[in-house]
Amino acid sequence: MNLIISTLRKDDLYNKKIIENIQKNISNVEIIYTEDMNIKGCIGCNRCWLVTPGICTIKDDYEKLLIKFLQSKQVVFITDLKLGFVSYKLKNIFDRILPLLTMNLRFKNGQMRHYFRYKKHYKMGLIYKGNGNREFLEKWLERVMINLDGTSIGTYNIENEEEILNALINC
Amino acid sequence: MHLLIVSCTPRAKEKSNTDKILDELRKGYEYNGNTTETLYLYKRNEWESIREKFYENDNILFALPLYVECIPGIMAEFLETLKPKQNCNTKIGFLLQSGFAEASQLRCCESYLETLPSLLGCEYNGTLLKGNMFAVSFLGSKMGKQMVEPFYNMGKYYAQNNYFNKEVVNDFAKPEYFSKKEIFLSNVVSPLNKLFMKVFAKKLGCKGSLNDKPYQNYIKR
Repeated sequence: MNLIISTLRKDDLYNKKIIENIQKNISNVEIIYTEDMNIKGCIGCNRCWLVTPGICTIKDDYEKLLIKFLQSKQVVFITDLKLGFVSYKLKNIFDRILPLLTMNLRFKNGQMRHYFRYKKHYKMGLIYKGNGNREFLEKWLERVMINLDGTSIGTYNIENEEEILNALINC
Repeated sequence: MHLLIVSCTPRAKEKSNTDKILDELRKGYEYNGNTTETLYLYKRNEWESIREKFYENDNILFALPLYVECIPGIMAEFLETLKPKQNCNTKIGFLLQSGFAEASQLRCCESYLETLPSLLGCEYNGTLLKGNMFAVSFLGSKMGKQMVEPFYNMGKYYAQNNYFNKEVVNDFAKPEYFSKKEIFLSNVVSPLNKLFMKVFAKKLGCKGSLNDKPYQNYIKR
């Protein structure tokens, strides 16, 4: 399954257009709008590492996303850019991936990394709306994916529909 | 000189590594009669007054833990509510700390922080970064305090220079990467670390294994 998680409003015109286009060209796509969900920010309590390993202590709608990450072949996030970075709504979603890792550390490619809780190769990409430095976003997503032992599908301006579709079809 | 410090961690003060570092940094900064005021983003009902203080002050330090390669969600959320300052002389510096030990782990976030002040109509005053801070709160007051003591001198340094010079910070934050020898040694003691974590987790009330896979059944490869 290909999963699209949009933090934009459903009635956002850019959002509507790109999602229509993806649905038309790519099979087996599921769309989730976080607008309908209650997702809080990580509070840094470390309980998902040390007290209830693998389970977040915050009881809201995030668990549904965590399970979807494990089920999906690839995940593409759609976000606004704010101050040159992804909106806090999306950053909260990324901050709460910690249950996918364990507390323990090791070295991988010369840097400290957490052990992965599950054997799973994650593929994630980003579609952004607004102004920002793509080079930075690329670097950020790549580093995030190193933490997850996954692959970045890349970051794409929401207006570059052709590029987005090519990337999704080819990966 | 007066410094407004905004603590951008979601953790409450008592459990926050960032705030333990700030305790020392502040002492160093105030050494020569300078003053500071610290505000906390985890106190959400105070955001309106934190915004007002942001607009009133022209010497500001944002202090933050590294969360998934960049700023924590709570900080992003707060920043999104700010209007860029107009025609001001405001300088913003950053204190960035992480659990990962190597300075290289903080560079992605640092490169973002370098761009942030100008987007808020302010000037960049440098970033003090330091890894290996995970255990500060866990180790208890005595050992935790030892870990953060070096920040006293950096507070003094910031008061004197009003800028975090990159070379000075790099020296403070090293190692950038661990040497092959250090990585080898760390791999040798790794089983001990795991054992320590296991015992520690049990003390905190953990009933299962730290490697539990509660959602294993959902995985499709």
